[in-house]
Amino acid sequence: MKYLLPLLFLPLSAFALDVEFSGNLEGQGRKTWNNEEAREDLMQSWDQSEFYMLYGNLGAEIDVKGGSRFEANVLGRHTYSELYENDYLATSVFTFPQKLVARDIFKLKYDKGENNYRTEVVLNKFMYQWTFEEHRFTVGRMFINYGQGEIFNPLNPFNQPTSLNSITNFSQGNDGVNFTFYVDEKHVMNFYVLGDKSLEGYEGQLEKTLWLHGEYAHSEELQFDYVVGEDQNRHKIGGQVTYLAEEAMFFGQLLYQSDYVNQRKSHNLWDIVLGYDEQLTSKWHLRVEGGYQKRNRHQEVMNFNTRFLPTEYFLALSNKYEIHPLVNLQGSIITDVKSGFTYFVGRSTFSLSSNTEAEIFAFSPVAKGSTTEFPVQKLVTTDVGLTLRAFF
Amino acid sequence: MKKPFLVFCAVLGVKAQDANEWIKYADNQMRGDRSESHITMTVQNPNYTRTLEIKSSVEGKNSALSEILSPAKEKGIRTLRLENKMWNYFPKMKRKIAVSSSMLLSSWMGSDFTNDDILKASKMSEDYSPKFLADKTINGESFKVIENNVKENTKAMWPKIVMMMSQKDCLPRYYEYYDKENTLKRTLELDKMKNFDGHQFLTEWKMIPAGEKNKFTTLKYNDVKFNVKFSNEQFSQKKLTE
Repeated sequence: MKYLLPLLFLPLSAFALDVEFSGNLEGQGRKTWNNEEAREDLMQSWDQSEFYMLYGNLGAEIDVKGGSRFEANVLGRHTYSELYENDYLATSVFTFPQKLVARDIFKLKYDKGENNYRTEVVLNKFMYQWTFEEHRFTVGRMFINYGQGEIFNPLNPFNQPTSLNSITNFSQGNDGVNFTFYVDEKHVMNFYVLGDKSLEGYEGQLEKTLWLHGEYAHSEELQFDYVVGEDQNRHKIGGQVTYLAEEAMFFGQLLYQSDYVNQRKSHNLWDIVLGYDEQLTSKWHLRVEGGYQKRNRHQEVMNFNTRFLPTEYFLALSNKYEIHPLVNLQGSIITDVKSGFTYFVGRSTFSLSSNTEAEIFAFSPVAKGSTTEFPVQKLVTTDVGLTLRAFF
Repeated sequence: MKKPFLVFCAVLGVKAQDANEWIKYADNQMRGDRSESHITMTVQNPNYTRTLEIKSSVEGKNSALSEILSPAKEKGIRTLRLENKMWNYFPKMKRKIAVSSSMLLSSWMGSDFTNDDILKASKMSEDYSPKFLADKTINGESFKVIENNVKENTKAMWPKIVMMMSQKDCLPRYYEYYDKENTLKRTLELDKMKNFDGHQFLTEWKMIPAGEKNKFTTLKYNDVKFNVKFSNEQFSQKKLTE
């Protein structure tokens, strides 16, 4: 695959106005301590270990004459830990999201895993886009990013929020076509036709996604988003209301998902999230999110693919504070209101130069849950780590 | 000393007895109706220096779009302002975020300038009521001093801004920004005059927060184009997410 990108770029560059490459590379190491309940109840019989990750993106953008453009991004992730040797599940927490492409028709992926390491290289963006006066057409593998939720964003099933994880600069790819129609200054409609082969394992049947996402700015303060369509064998409909007050932003999302349309054993689902976001001072930013996610009783309970840290009811508080122009501090706490399980995420980022930074992070479950509805919560470890990050 | 000033300013069409005319003149010269700038921002602190390259487009009081050209870490980040609405766009993630107007007060990329400064949300001649104070002399140069108090029912970041206008060219050299408690919070110094498209423009700006030692941010306007004919889409969601 490493020869594929230059080969594609060369003929395109003959017509190009502008070719740009960019990316980031980061190395991460963490010391991790296992949760006692995971040892006892889930046969995760390890006490403490280390986990290392080398991760990076290489992206290219080519503006072609005539108002079209090509974009690609290669994402590579190499991880190393003794925990792989016994297939301990904690590694899936460290590498969330495991699905680097949310809806894939083509694999466009290299992966290899042996004793104590895993390597993945995936082309998670590979798209061509034409922009016209009132519409835009995109074909290929693309990022789809909308919705105000940073911790839980059910309105957008095509990109997982990663604010509780150590991974940054990441978006999931999606295979298909997108037609954006700028109805007027207030209203934008996005139609998506996507495919997914990996819903039931990559060799399975191609599942279709037909999706409409619209944004309507009712006034300076009030914006509505709406979604409707079929995705992963469910009919889905939902919306988001965003209210921009003078001092803060309020938003709410609701998504309803029907039973499976292909008669598989299922039941309907619905998600709700309410959020509040305020820049309290020039240095202090506050966000609160709370919500409900109806539990899918037919889904494998140990599955981390659909959402990091599954909960039914949750309340999350996130603070970011600039203690120095080069040093940011972030602390987030999320609690499962029903079980009492509470998780803390702390990180501090130090800007080392204009294009490099270091981050120290600490993740820890600070209160144990009382129910067994989400055993996956027991897998969450206590971690302390360091990331070095470079941008180019 | 006054005669040459009056003659010079008369050439520029400034009615020297009216503080409003001074402000309008400065707004017209420095802002214009439509402009596009290429700016180098340097954030200077006792322990570090940070430089960003920015492209900024402004139309009237209500429309502005800025884009970071370098460094690589922030490259491509765009901010769009339309009326009182504001969005940030992060092209690497294809993520657009609506932000509340309280963010106008917050620092722009860790500098001593705010979003409001970069997006030019406030227009002095429309948002403030000016009046003359006594002239001041700084380093041997005499300045006309104008106190601007924000008009009622106007959304502006600073209740009071005191400007010191050069009596040579009628353009501001110092801005002093005061908060609700009438405390000086920061000072903007302007220097190095150039002519861009018939506009007299001061190209080096230095923002100094009050009470901070060896901490300031400079803006160097490398190029400014006035009366730019923007496309209909220049200040739109489409352009923001391009």
